[in-house]
Amino acid sequence: MKLTKKILCVALALAMVLSFAACGDKNEAAAPAADAKIISVMLSTNVMSLDCNLATDGDSFEVIADCIDGLTQMDADGAAIPALAESWDISEDGLTWTFHLRDAKWSNGDPVTANDFVFAWKTAALTNEEYGYMLDSSVGCIKNADAVMYDGADVDTLGVSAPDDKTFVVELEAPVSFFDSLMYFPTFYPLNEKFYTGLESGTYGTSADTFLSCGAFILSDYTPGAASFSLTKNPDYWDAANIKLDGIKYQVVGSSDNALTAFKNGSLDLVAISGSQVPSAQADANLSSKIKVTGAGYMWYLSFSQTKANANGGQLANANLRLAITNAIDRESLVDNYVMDGSLPTYTCVPPQFAASATTGADFSADQTMFADVCSFNVAKAQEYLAAAQKELGTDSFTFTMIYGNNEGDEVSKVAQAIKEQVEANLPGVTLNLQAMSKAERLDKMQNDNYDVALTRWGPDYADPMTYLGMWITDNANNYGFWSNTDYDQLITDCTTGAYVSDYDARWAALYEAETLVMNDAVIAPLYTKSNANLISDKLSGVDFHPVALNRVYKSATLQ
Amino acid sequence: MNDFELLKHHDIVTDENFASQTYWKGVFTRFFAKKRSVIGLIIVVVIIVLAILGPVLSGYEYREISSVINPETGKEVVAKGLAPRIPFLHKLLGKAPYDDFFADKTFLFGTDDLGRDLWTRTWYGARVSLLIAFVTIAIDVVIGMCYGLISGYFGGVVDSIMQRFVEIANSVPRLVIVSVLAVFMPKGIGLVIVALLITEWIGMSKIARAEMLKIKELEYILAGKTLGASNLQIIFGDVLPNTIGPIITQVMFSIPTAIFTEAFLSFVGVGIMLPECSVGSLIEDGFNNITTLPYQIIPPIIVLALLMLGFNFIGDGLREALAPKLKDM
Amino acid sequence: MAKYIVKRIVTSVVTLLIITFLLFFLVRIMPGNPFPSERMTDEAIAAKRLEMGLDDPIMTQFIRYMKKVCVGDFGKGTSLYNGAPIKTVLNKAISNSFKIGGIAILLGTAVGLILGIVAALNRDGFWDVFCSVFSILGVCVPAYVFLIFLQYTFAYKTSLLPYFFDSMNFFKSTIIPSVSMSLFTMSTIARFTRNEMVEVMDSDYVRLAESKGMYGTKLVTRHILRNALIPVVTVLAPLIVDLLTGALVVEKIYGIQGIGKLMVDAISGEGIDYNYVLALGIIYSALYIGMMLVVDILYGVLDPRIRVAKKGGDK
Repeated sequence: MKLTKKILCVALALAMVLSFAACGDKNEAAAPAADAKIISVMLSTNVMSLDCNLATDGDSFEVIADCIDGLTQMDADGAAIPALAESWDISEDGLTWTFHLRDAKWSNGDPVTANDFVFAWKTAALTNEEYGYMLDSSVGCIKNADAVMYDGADVDTLGVSAPDDKTFVVELEAPVSFFDSLMYFPTFYPLNEKFYTGLESGTYGTSADTFLSCGAFILSDYTPGAASFSLTKNPDYWDAANIKLDGIKYQVVGSSDNALTAFKNGSLDLVAISGSQVPSAQADANLSSKIKVTGAGYMWYLSFSQTKANANGGQLANANLRLAITNAIDRESLVDNYVMDGSLPTYTCVPPQFAASATTGADFSADQTMFADVCSFNVAKAQEYLAAAQKELGTDSFTFTMIYGNNEGDEVSKVAQAIKEQVEANLPGVTLNLQAMSKAERLDKMQNDNYDVALTRWGPDYADPMTYLGMWITDNANNYGFWSNTDYDQLITDCTTGAYVSDYDARWAALYEAETLVMNDAVIAPLYTKSNANLISDKLSGVDFHPVALNRVYKSATLQ
Repeated sequence: MNDFELLKHHDIVTDENFASQTYWKGVFTRFFAKKRSVIGLIIVVVIIVLAILGPVLSGYEYREISSVINPETGKEVVAKGLAPRIPFLHKLLGKAPYDDFFADKTFLFGTDDLGRDLWTRTWYGARVSLLIAFVTIAIDVVIGMCYGLISGYFGGVVDSIMQRFVEIANSVPRLVIVSVLAVFMPKGIGLVIVALLITEWIGMSKIARAEMLKIKELEYILAGKTLGASNLQIIFGDVLPNTIGPIITQVMFSIPTAIFTEAFLSFVGVGIMLPECSVGSLIEDGFNNITTLPYQIIPPIIVLALLMLGFNFIGDGLREALAPKLKDM
Repeated sequence: MAKYIVKRIVTSVVTLLIITFLLFFLVRIMPGNPFPSERMTDEAIAAKRLEMGLDDPIMTQFIRYMKKVCVGDFGKGTSLYNGAPIKTVLNKAISNSFKIGGIAILLGTAVGLILGIVAALNRDGFWDVFCSVFSILGVCVPAYVFLIFLQYTFAYKTSLLPYFFDSMNFFKSTIIPSVSMSLFTMSTIARFTRNEMVEVMDSDYVRLAESKGMYGTKLVTRHILRNALIPVVTVLAPLIVDLLTGALVVEKIYGIQGIGKLMVDAISGEGIDYNYVLALGIIYSALYIGMMLVVDILYGVLDPRIRVAKKGGDK
């Protein structure tokens, strides 16, 4: 048919036009010099904010730390070493920290002064955003922080001052043994007051033009929500001589399978893959040597709602029932078969690998069998606990709904299903229904005590067990189980502001005591401590990985 | 002598070459006369039968995790991510037996990430998806057709108001509607069906309205009106049968839309509850491993494609059988 | 006609206003807190609610919001990209989604129409069978599976095209996502065009035209296409809106900063961001209503019978 031919001609022409459009693309970026050492790194989520007061997620913290230095920075082992502060003195009572700043410059040429810190910390106290609590008496114990943040006291009473441009003085309410390691957390980073206040409110950190660096890298292009953006080396960085990379290109990759292919293709130099991809990477001779498992810090655990007013008549307020569930879960199997990225089965409510004792250097939770009599995989014991609970509650069957986030990682729904199968198989009479939801909804349900069991996680904000143990005091916003124990509250108060603050070893021992209370009552059921399975290109070396605060640091990275 | 003689009843001869048939008998004959429609019907019936029997035949439960305890380490080993294996056939072909803990187990389609038999889950998922698709589409067709035909027939102010309502119903993003619905309804299949109902009937009504606009000015409708047929009679008696063609096409395309929307809803947490599954959720799951374990995504996609093919053939056959054109007779 | 169009535009604006209010109300009852709340105390959240005026009567809030929206200001987010003005985030997302979606629509419609017409003219021939198989595949294989396939073939195996979306290299990096997104539209349009054409070709007036000696291009364009296209336009409209507002998984996989992903991020992060959901909802609704307006007007252009009927109805 004539017409058919005509139409096919038109189609062909159309296809050609389109392919010409593709070829005639003159918009290509100027190719960087062939020997520029720029690495391509995967992010698993978008950077949420580059404002160090507002950022809340690990990816944002990482990018902020690439661009801005704190008073201290992390060395390869996570210990605090000097950064913007050349040195610091601590008063004898441990209440006054004096930091001596080095000569450093913001990327607009302004010098970094002590006033930048005073302004930043005061802003943090005033706005009291999500991480504002790092200043208050539960963590940083900065003088008058509680009064400013919660009781509306004048912000000028905050215990920070700048006697001169190069000296920054912090006064504390109580000695904080890990204060130097808090200083590498982005909440404590400096802000250039003139620049910050000169911007339209809310626009700081929303583009390369509205952001200032004083760290190793400068933001070269960025918009909020960008799926990819890049940083370039800061030539004026105080330690520029030791920065080997010329730039970092961040690429948000939403699927682990895709991350693996992009890595194989050479499009990315550093990716994190999820457990499902690990076996195939291990089986591949080219990839198996490039896998590096690093601690991610997060501990996944089950939170039980323990109020009597709960929808299920508060059955989970029964400690034996909670103990039955925690003993019915085979954590080894969860980690080996479903998570598969090197995560560690965890039997303590403070996870291992992030908090080491300052005196002995031993990991707080190195001994995972410490609470083996109340938390282990032991079906017989679990059934004993269940029988006791059945007797106490006068019923043989229990039905609970477990809520979990559907956007919190590939392995979460697998783990949820595996827990359901394990609990139902090992505890006859218990039914665990699953309910997926967004993280926003999950948090909302947990905060309003509108749930039975939740699969949730918590990442350490600083290298001290208190980042976990602080959660279970009465009325804490993160005490989702609504558990309350006066002895426990007293212990924690003693450790933060009371009797033990100046006696390191006594405090350490008291923290164990507190942990025992939580474990004996099965306030939560710890499951596993998350690791990341990274694939690192052979050419890239020297990236530091940390489970706490800043997950990846590129200051000593090199690219061949 | 009588000029006329009474005929005995049995003497009446009917025309046997062009016997008069009832309408439905005609539809039936015309439908089965086409090879394609029969093939379509066979495909769909086979899939439905497998969806009913498949999970029973495999010997696995859809939620059953196959695992053994490794005698050396005492740790649990789950049969996760296995490629399809049929030990019997394997042996027959003279290959070395599988070298793992599940050497004698049969997994026709392999296993998923949790060590569950994909054959069982595929057919179980087909069952769930078919149920959801049939229920929603049946209701959608009824609602959508009535709405569209009425709107198109009356035109003017009625049409204008009805179309504005459609716009309102259709232009609120589905994710918002569903999240709000989930506050008032328990999550699960029921919610999925309601969520699909809320938006899917609109496509149907659009088609019906467009057809009505086309048909209502035709002579036979005008004739009907002149002869005093009631509005209802014209809409449902005269126009409706003639809109069947495009509606069937729309139905055929609604099936995968329903299946995928269901998967999307599961993905955002308001769909079916795990460990249940549907074809859509299996495709989503398989997608997570598409390059490393590609066999996981293939069975659900093939089932879906075959279903579509079958429904399309049936749809074509039905359309031609229901509204025969001279050419086809 | 002009009177009809004006009237139609006015009703559209009113509808949009009703939808905006409905959205405003619905968003408030969605589950979740508008702020990232994991580490925030109840007091801090209450202070934030007060600051944003979330506890005022809903009408007060609505009027305040509309006043701003009317001058093009969507405010700033509550939890997503903390505090960044929504406009800056939206601009980029909309421009990406519209460009990629637009190419997908052009490609999908053009190829779909051609394929449908060829299939109808070759009834039961090779092209017809090809069209059926193609349209079935296109509809039941999700766009993101096509995307992976294209990415694997053209970016991983051969490096002809970029592996991820790169705004500096716009044209090359739109090919993979827009082709994969266009396949659904392509197959739907092909299928509908084919069926409508077949129906029209069997109708009496075409037979009459044929018997009067009319054939070829003239018959197809004058009589068949014009009548077959009306239902196709109806099908196309919602497809266009869907394509323009982005495809979540495609955006996620190919690293595109687009609307689809923004919507899901706004709903399912640590907090549900009311202002983003609202802004995106309004854009979606406006697009949809705009499309319906265009469709209704197009009807008049394509089908004189409707034009007459409309005139009659408006008297």
